[in-house]
Amino acid sequence: MQSRERMNKRVTNGIALGVIGLAAIATVGALGTILLYVIINGIGQLTPAFIFTWPHGVNMEGGIWPTIQSTLYVTALAMLITTPIAVLAAVYLAEYAVQGRLVSIIRFAADSLASVPSIVMGLFGLALFVEGIGMGFSVIAAALALSFLLLPIIVRTTEESIRAVPKYIRWGSYGLGASKWQTVSRIVLPSALPRITTGVILAAGRAAGETAVVIYTMGTMINAPVSPLDPGRTMPVHLMLMAQEGINMPAAYGTALLLVLMVLGFNLTARYIGRRNRRMQG
Amino acid sequence: MNDLPQAPAPEPDPTPYAVDSSLSTISKATYFKEAALKNLFLLCACVAVAGVGLIFLFVGLKGWPIFAKVGIWEFLSGAKWYPTKGFFGILPLIVNSLLAMAGALVLGAPLAIGTAVFLSEVASPKVRELVRPAVELLAGIPSVVYGFFGLVLLRPIIAQLFGGLGFGLFTVWIILAVMILPTIAALTEDALRSVPEGIREASYAMGATKWQTIWRVLLPAAKIGIIDAIILGMGRAIGETMAVVMVAGNARVIPDGIFKPFLTLTTVIVMDMPYASGDHRTALFGVAIILFIISMLFVASIRVISRFGKEMS
Amino acid sequence: MLRRCALCLAVAISAVSLLGLSGCKKADGASQTSLTVTGSTTVLPIAEVAAEDFQTANPGKRVLVAGVGSSAGIESVASGTSDIGTSSRDLKPEEKSLGLVDTKIALDAIAVIVNPSNPVSGLTKVQVSEIFQGKITNWKQVGGPDLEIGLVNRDEASGTREAFSKFVLGTADFDPTAAVLPGTGQVRSVVAQAAGAVGYISLGFVDTTVKALDVDGIPANETTVADGSYPLWRNLHFFTKGEPKGLIKAYVDYVLSDNIQNTVVRDAGFLPIAEGGTKP
Repeated sequence: MQSRERMNKRVTNGIALGVIGLAAIATVGALGTILLYVIINGIGQLTPAFIFTWPHGVNMEGGIWPTIQSTLYVTALAMLITTPIAVLAAVYLAEYAVQGRLVSIIRFAADSLASVPSIVMGLFGLALFVEGIGMGFSVIAAALALSFLLLPIIVRTTEESIRAVPKYIRWGSYGLGASKWQTVSRIVLPSALPRITTGVILAAGRAAGETAVVIYTMGTMINAPVSPLDPGRTMPVHLMLMAQEGINMPAAYGTALLLVLMVLGFNLTARYIGRRNRRMQG
Repeated sequence: MNDLPQAPAPEPDPTPYAVDSSLSTISKATYFKEAALKNLFLLCACVAVAGVGLIFLFVGLKGWPIFAKVGIWEFLSGAKWYPTKGFFGILPLIVNSLLAMAGALVLGAPLAIGTAVFLSEVASPKVRELVRPAVELLAGIPSVVYGFFGLVLLRPIIAQLFGGLGFGLFTVWIILAVMILPTIAALTEDALRSVPEGIREASYAMGATKWQTIWRVLLPAAKIGIIDAIILGMGRAIGETMAVVMVAGNARVIPDGIFKPFLTLTTVIVMDMPYASGDHRTALFGVAIILFIISMLFVASIRVISRFGKEMS
Repeated sequence: MLRRCALCLAVAISAVSLLGLSGCKKADGASQTSLTVTGSTTVLPIAEVAAEDFQTANPGKRVLVAGVGSSAGIESVASGTSDIGTSSRDLKPEEKSLGLVDTKIALDAIAVIVNPSNPVSGLTKVQVSEIFQGKITNWKQVGGPDLEIGLVNRDEASGTREAFSKFVLGTADFDPTAAVLPGTGQVRSVVAQAAGAVGYISLGFVDTTVKALDVDGIPANETTVADGSYPLWRNLHFFTKGEPKGLIKAYVDYVLSDNIQNTVVRDAGFLPIAEGGTKP
């Protein structure tokens, strides 16, 4: 009797763990399929000509340089706008905030911003920045709309990074007579900096891949923006339009691959910084 | 060093600067500087609140006229979305969005939870080092690449296997499931990790197998976190646009099969916006504000459930 | 933090000053150095290649081209957002009072396409109409195999859809359960890969992956379009607010020049406007 129960237990255990393993395999498999497909079909496109020249001719033959420039420009601008505000907001929430109505509201607002569908954010950008303030389709309008999207992400990761700084370091600082701001700015933030940077870089990866927000705030014109008021077309938008038109598929594959490589680059850089930091902290 | 707390901890150390000047160790100037800085940071934190308010204001203002004209109830329950002829009913869109979300959850949540359990309980550290980055990478892939992949690879395969054009709920479910997988998996893993180690050890000590421990002890213990993860996944699924618009087929009806084209709350905006004008455009902003309210409802329900769960334990 | 305020201020100042400068752009065409052309995705290839060549021939002048749909193009030229609105359809009655001047620049035909494996080779206009209304749902009803019809429609922004609707459906509506795709190439590749699919695209984009059907017994090719026997043809338009002047006129004339008409227009699969002869 007992040994049959034990056998049943083991059999169920084995099967269940096998199924769980399958789930993990399916997940990795999904990633692998997507990456492999994009790489195989796009790798042929990755010539210096493709990366550095402009599209020309019927159906955008040629390169995608202006889209690369647009993507980098808007991502950099968005990070420039969001990061200071987000970091300082996180400092408030981690160091100064007292649990109460206001903090509850702030957190609820941050969570809401984080789950706004990006197309709603795009229409918001259109309504406020492009039409309301009158910036027109421009890098700055897109960057501002993106920064609302990125704010809660960076606040969250920065807050975690700050909380990860051990308490005794702060106590030591206060014990030496430092004020709160001195402690935060000279001890806590530098100590949390690698993790904050990781969070910022991951957020940049998110910004680079955004489509719905950018399409309604930056437009779809092929252009290499110089001033923040110039319109442009980013790589995700270009990919979407190429895929929808459906005529120049090789260019679409190339754009997809470059985009994936860019995001992978952001991801791996963030991971590298995180790992180096962990190793240094011992 | 050691793992950091995952959810925001309640309160930080109370600030040690004293207000009573007789005991203070800092000058008045420093005190004012500290107070000013604190308020500056508070201002930055309130940008989030300002953001939500602005979105409501601007999108709502642009969308309000359609509610005034058609009536909120008619807008939400009208069964015909034919704006060029004056029909502004988004019921089919709401139903379609819910259908897409439900299927994606049924497909994606078990896969995600299984992967999270794998990462947290089953995998050896070496395997974990391989699988966890894979999940994070999956989260980082832009939605337009998912849509592109669905369009060029998945759709033709489904058309070959099941006939029809390859657009429809079935295709959307697969793509959305893969997209919400990392979200649910990451949060579920967090929830499982925050279950104290002692509970596991107690379960093993009583002779339970790993699976019994997982199924009867750990998952119920992490229930609240898992529910939160699922709700977050739901929010992501219902708000997804780019991936869906490339594989859904965009017909403005409730599909009569899982391989028939359909339109959702998000894809209607992306399809109609390029040419909409007047009332049509206003209606699209109306759809956007509805989407915003739906996503906020999801966030609110997470808070309510979390608080409820905390009170229970 | 002070640095941040300074940065904000700098951005704000440069933004305002650039806003002021860019406001001068939309003056009259004569003093312009850049041109905005938006509208039909069907006309897009012509507009873009011509723009490129025009820019090479006239250094210092820029022509920005975007494809957003005929309706959007007409609206933006009427509102002044762009200098030229391209369109693959005529003006609707309510658009006639916008003060737009029409310059026809090419001739196009719409082909009804099916999968090459579909044995059906021609349909009557009535049959095509009923298929796209959803009244005929199986190929066997029109002499084909027992296969469900996979209806592929274009999005409402498409000039091709407008033209098709006007020619074929008249006042009837498209089947609302049809798949709605936002681009010519997508329609073509979906029809090329699904055995029962049927759609419509510009004749110039028909290639070997799909088959164009005869309509009312007339095959779809350049000859039948030029002599007017193929029923589904249309003009491609450049709309301008008032008569074209200055840079706008230079660009329009360039597109109408023999060189462009016989190379770019033909390369894109359309016919030079001169071929249309006495067609309206």
